[in-house]
Amino acid sequence: MRERFRALDPRLLWVLLALMALGTLTLYSAGRNTPQAGIWLKQSLWNFLGLVLMLLLASMDPRRLFRYAFPAYLVGLVALAAVLVVGRKIGGSTRWFMIAGQTFQPSELMKWITLLYVSQRLGSHNADTVGRLELFGATGLVVFPMLLIQRQPDLGMALSYLPILLIIPLMKGFRTRWVIVLLLLVGLGGVGAWKVVLKPYQKQRVRIFLDPSADLQGKGYQVNQSRIAIGAGGLIGKGFTSGSQTQLNFLPVKTTDFAFSVWAEERGFMGVLLVLGLFGLLLSRILDAAQAAPTNAEAYFCAGAAGIFALHLLVNVGMVAGALPNKGMVLPFFSAGGSSTLSFFLALGLIMGILHRSRVK
Amino acid sequence: MDPRQRPLLRRRLGAFKAMTWSLVALLVLIYAWLQLVRHGEFKQLAMQQAVKVRPIPAPRGLVLDRNGQRLVDNRRALHLVIQREDLPARPEVVASLAEALVLDPAALARKIASYRQAGKGRPLVLKENLDEAGIALAERVRARFPFLSVEVAPRRVYLGDELAGHVLGYVGEVDEELMKARPGVFRLGETIGKEGFEASGNDKLKGVDGQKRILVDQLGTEVANFGQMDATAGRSLFLTLDAGLQKVAEDALGEEAGAVVVLDLRDGGVLAMYSSPSYDPNLFLNRLSQDMVDRYLANSQTRPMVNRAIQGIYAPGSTFKLLVAIAALEKGVVTPQTAIYCAGKKNFYGRDFRCDKPTGHGSLSMVQAIAQSCDVYFYELASRLDIDDIYATAEKYGLTERTGIDLPQEKRSRIPSRDWKRRTYPRDPKWYGGETISVGIGQGAVGVTPLALARFYALLATRGELVTPHLFYGFRDDQSNGLVPAPVPSPRGTHLDPRIWSVLNEGLSEVVQSGTAAANPFVREIANQIPFSGKTGTAQVATFVDKAHYARQAKFLKDHALFAGFAPRDNPQIAFAVVVENAGFGSTSAAPVAAKLVKYWCVDRLIHPLPPPRGKMVDPFAPAPQAESPE
Repeated sequence: MRERFRALDPRLLWVLLALMALGTLTLYSAGRNTPQAGIWLKQSLWNFLGLVLMLLLASMDPRRLFRYAFPAYLVGLVALAAVLVVGRKIGGSTRWFMIAGQTFQPSELMKWITLLYVSQRLGSHNADTVGRLELFGATGLVVFPMLLIQRQPDLGMALSYLPILLIIPLMKGFRTRWVIVLLLLVGLGGVGAWKVVLKPYQKQRVRIFLDPSADLQGKGYQVNQSRIAIGAGGLIGKGFTSGSQTQLNFLPVKTTDFAFSVWAEERGFMGVLLVLGLFGLLLSRILDAAQAAPTNAEAYFCAGAAGIFALHLLVNVGMVAGALPNKGMVLPFFSAGGSSTLSFFLALGLIMGILHRSRVK
Repeated sequence: MDPRQRPLLRRRLGAFKAMTWSLVALLVLIYAWLQLVRHGEFKQLAMQQAVKVRPIPAPRGLVLDRNGQRLVDNRRALHLVIQREDLPARPEVVASLAEALVLDPAALARKIASYRQAGKGRPLVLKENLDEAGIALAERVRARFPFLSVEVAPRRVYLGDELAGHVLGYVGEVDEELMKARPGVFRLGETIGKEGFEASGNDKLKGVDGQKRILVDQLGTEVANFGQMDATAGRSLFLTLDAGLQKVAEDALGEEAGAVVVLDLRDGGVLAMYSSPSYDPNLFLNRLSQDMVDRYLANSQTRPMVNRAIQGIYAPGSTFKLLVAIAALEKGVVTPQTAIYCAGKKNFYGRDFRCDKPTGHGSLSMVQAIAQSCDVYFYELASRLDIDDIYATAEKYGLTERTGIDLPQEKRSRIPSRDWKRRTYPRDPKWYGGETISVGIGQGAVGVTPLALARFYALLATRGELVTPHLFYGFRDDQSNGLVPAPVPSPRGTHLDPRIWSVLNEGLSEVVQSGTAAANPFVREIANQIPFSGKTGTAQVATFVDKAHYARQAKFLKDHALFAGFAPRDNPQIAFAVVVENAGFGSTSAAPVAAKLVKYWCVDRLIHPLPPPRGKMVDPFAPAPQAESPE
């Protein structure tokens, strides 16, 4: 047992525990005086289960896991297809299985399985000699489940598969300059188009395309309330359980998509700095693992995982601030949810295993 | 193969790391912008939507009858409203809201626009007096339209249902026309009296709204109160009505159309005023049923919205003969003893005018003529008078003016004169002598309201005092719950010659003792217990060839029956006028109604008064009814 705990990377672990603690506090405050008052306890249970899962995975040899990647991928595809047929329909989309009274979202787990399988496949090739066909094939392996997920429909989840494709520039190289230019162009172009070029009715169409439920309650009612919450937080915040936006329920879906707004309102800019710093450390440490990984496949997995975590961070934190379209993507350790929590810990378990093995070796 | 041997991969991963940190930095910048630079603006917004100033609606005063019985009560009601600061702006939201609540979208949009313009004040009420189904609907709709809220406010309950519909009237939201007509008087969304005493006594009954500063949650529910200025309830007041007598009037008229007015001879207070068919004011509290009012009630054949007591103009028939008698005696064209022969008909201006008794009454004095209601006698009197003599007498004794009762839209009685004919019929302005003959028996152009008729008989009862009929009796003292009587305009003396009065008084007494009214056994029976005075009247609605023809006519063409008088005969307390539409002879249908009124007022009231009014309406939110302490 002792041996098992040794597999945990202390630097990653401290960051994780800190984020989990802050996230649980946030959920406690968000759920107060609502029917969801117990959500922080429920989430703590998921966190605990996640930690156990992480511990188990960390002490396993990652290469053994890669062997299960292909069959797991096939099972995952079947599950994604099955959920379309027998899944539980909630709020207009069919994303969930009902298992023992709990909802289970197969697309969450499948994201990591896909990453695992694609890393394994591409890792078995020499980066310099890998053929175009193989790269296209890998792209197809990512896009196919995305299409199934979009049928649910769940655009946010489908988009969260995209960072897996970062493995390709990692193998074939990229010019930092070009990437920066590309990112700037996409960023500026997107924001610019949104603010200047698109007419209001076009924006509305884009919004309705991105999120059909965003009607009636006024343009971006949710995001607007979230921005008010964040802005009202100021430098030091309104104090724990004292945010008016949160406690008076002006802030919508505050235990999931908008949990970070609760934190921002009640803990202010200082709190935001703390959490974003912790996420920076988390991403950094995952990329450390990628650099230290003994095999290409493991390095690719870690890099892809960092990409997925980074995308969640960007989209969720950006969205609640109104900087990105209102597209449901959860914030790890803050947004309540069983499937997502377990799958994040699953990935972290693998990463810890990789870090551990790189140290041992 | 070992990636640790691959500097290229390490470099690329290094670039990844730099990118993640710049991503974090970008997010930090966004939050710095929102939380540091724009903090003040958002703080303001957060405050604006959580801290609200809300009006506290003031309950209107209660309305009690003269004995302190409640006629109008207040109960707690829930309304689905939009607070002023939450009014939706987007047309599509307004449209879908209108659809969800089954309201007219154009009207709703107009209303929202005018409320927005008006600034702070009472919320816009979408659905009032929600019942359980209404609350369920409100909850459903509120999930989609979070700007809606449910407001608790007092509502009116009219306890007698139809008992005094016309007298009490009802309340409603002030409409835009009225606000335009009297700028600065009303505030948008204010509840005001629309009809009856609720309207005329609006200033007395209304309170002053308070306001409070509260913390609300997203559903508009009050979470905390930062302080408030209480509403001042409107003052409760007493009406001169006697609920028991009013009930007798309602029951006596029953299904028949008509009107009953009973006046208190001491001060002109209205003891009963009932117009049949009546209406139930409770049905008019919900805005949407205004449609129902316009479509079904106002235009229906029986016209239940018209208060016949002050708005119905009826030919007074024989009840008018008393005025003609005064005119003739004052002008000196006859003396009380002058005998006039009735042969059943008489020719004036080349035309035969028939008496009600075809065989004729023979030779009659004035007292006999009044008792027998001889038409020929009064044709003769009229022929000796000019129409302007009759008009002048009517003017002197108050029949040409409005009585001045404190109810809206009282109509003026119509007493013809040469001048009136000129103004009314410019094509045929000449007054014909024959027209005067008809007026002599209260037919032709003459028309009076039941209230004016009752007031004229009050004048006969009081030997010439002209009272101002009124409903307002006084405010209720907040401590003792007792009456603080309001000043009453003192009656106007008319210098009616006492000798003339005693002749008329004797005539009116004879009507009930031995004359036309005595034909009815019930009237006779009551009159034996409590002698009272009065005059029957039968007002033609249409002209018929003979009685067989008349009998065949539709009900609505039959004569109106009238009875006006006072009781008791010797020391009168009340004066009354009864009109029963299309009921035939005054002696058979109107006089018994009057007899019932007299019986209740002079006997039953003192022995076992009728129980206080109790509405049949069931109010799911009402607290248990409180026992009213007898006053």
